[in-house]
Amino acid sequence: MTTSEPDFEDCSDVLEHLYAFHDHELTEAEADHIREHLMACEPCLDSFQVEEALRALVRKCCNTEAVASAKLRLRVQATITRTVVVTEAE
Amino acid sequence: MNLTTTEISEADSRLTETEAERTARFEADALGYLDQLYGAALRMTRNPADAEDLVQETFAKAYASFGQFTPGTNLKAWLYRILTNTFINTYRKKQRQPLSSGGELEDWQLAKAESHTSTGLRSAEMEALDQMPHSAVTDAMNELPADFRLAVYLADVEGFAYKEIAAIMGTPIGTVMSRLNRGRNQLRAKLADFAREQGLIPGGDDDDE
Repeated sequence: MTTSEPDFEDCSDVLEHLYAFHDHELTEAEADHIREHLMACEPCLDSFQVEEALRALVRKCCNTEAVASAKLRLRVQATITRTVVVTEAE
Repeated sequence: MNLTTTEISEADSRLTETEAERTARFEADALGYLDQLYGAALRMTRNPADAEDLVQETFAKAYASFGQFTPGTNLKAWLYRILTNTFINTYRKKQRQPLSSGGELEDWQLAKAESHTSTGLRSAEMEALDQMPHSAVTDAMNELPADFRLAVYLADVEGFAYKEIAAIMGTPIGTVMSRLNRGRNQLRAKLADFAREQGLIPGGDDDDE
């Protein structure tokens, strides 16, 4: 099996891939490389933790707000029912 | 290729199901995403009235083409695709928002050059961010250009993979990554600024230089 060795030379390379690492969008080899670097590099580990916290904050704040009103639920249901009536009438 | 018995019976049941059965299936499967789609619509349109109209239109379109949806595939992504198309085709035109991503400048090379920039925040300061009001985060999100906002929302709040976001937004993966990088950088910079201004973390003084 051929494994392409990821060439993350330094901190800037690691930071550049930090979003993708968080997003689980790196290959296993690339992710391992980042993990190894984070274990050994305090500043990069700190950036990683900051990103982790900001991500959690964004998710928390944008999620709790989203509750469709009962009115909207009824409107949507009415739309569906109306569509059925129209289809059947034709 | 041979279809399995289940596949045949599933296809058959979709062909032979009545309107009432299809409606019931739609209500059971798709309506469960109402809150989530409303949350996304709110982020897209930035106001509740438009968000409600957008969601209603989305469900009407989804219901009309529900017969073409293949059961067992990603229903949530399918609904988001319709939501996004509807938003782009009607609401964004209506709101006359400037095209955010700078047209031709959506080049992965460009994004690469400006990927993860430091906010100057430290992990020791993160606990203070719990005191940040939700509205500060949603306001910062709302200030992002529409394309960036949508990409960030789909990734950070909904947890869609790059591939799924590309399908939902109808763009190449490179464009998704570019929008994500730039949107996230802008959002994080805004949050860091807010935290400093509010004195949640040190360095709030603007009187330097």
